[in-house]
Amino acid sequence: MVRSDMNEKVTITIPSHPKYLSVVRAVTARVGAVCGMNDSLTDGIKLAVDEACSNVIKHAYRGDTGKKIVVKYKITKKSLEVTIEDNGIKSDVEYMKGRDLDDLKPGGLGIHFIKKIFDVFELDSRKKVGNRLRLIKYLKGKYEA
Amino acid sequence: MKLEITDCKGIKMIALSGEVDMYTSPELREEMMNLIRRRTSPLFVDFSGVSYIDSSGIATFVEGLKGIMSYNGKLKLVGIPDRIMEIFNFSKLDRVFEMYGSIDDALNSLNSF
Repeated sequence: MVRSDMNEKVTITIPSHPKYLSVVRAVTARVGAVCGMNDSLTDGIKLAVDEACSNVIKHAYRGDTGKKIVVKYKITKKSLEVTIEDNGIKSDVEYMKGRDLDDLKPGGLGIHFIKKIFDVFELDSRKKVGNRLRLIKYLKGKYEA
Repeated sequence: MKLEITDCKGIKMIALSGEVDMYTSPELREEMMNLIRRRTSPLFVDFSGVSYIDSSGIATFVEGLKGIMSYNGKLKLVGIPDRIMEIFNFSKLDRVFEMYGSIDDALNSLNSF
């Protein structure tokens, strides 16, 4: 595929039900392919965006499956920016550190998966209701991790 | 996700395939914890058909391991594809779980003590 100077956007809105996470993964994987990412990096962003949406369902919406999650992808020549928005309970920044990886217990890994892949992990405090998580992956050289 | 509980030469094995995520992992958790409540040991889990796992899937196995360790049982993960193994490695869980390339390797491990 020939990449032109891109500044393109894809937006999806899903219900806050875990069964729609597979839709987010499918779209994220296709966006990764459009960006020219290799399979390993595509797997990584797919997992990271899935984890971010799972966190919205679990923590911001406390399992309420009747809400909305908006996932926005902004593709430029230099980066992929993914924004995940909800209208749920404000996230606790302290929680977003994840657990110590040496501490064997269920849970707390999702944040690590997100931060491992994305170069920027930013919770937008300007959003008055709910949360807006901004993730950026810079595309290096031949778009490899 | 598809989940099948089979007997492999007298050993209980969960054969998993497809995607293990927040939507599907509760079914896995229920089946695995049912076996653990019956103090099943060893318990094999065949990962060879798994195409995706997220942190909720990983958490399910951590919970299962803790449960099975409570009665000195053995949980053995078999045939983990490379892309899934990367997630275990990053989580430092490759140091905690017993992992084998094949069912035969896992069976042989039972005879090595």
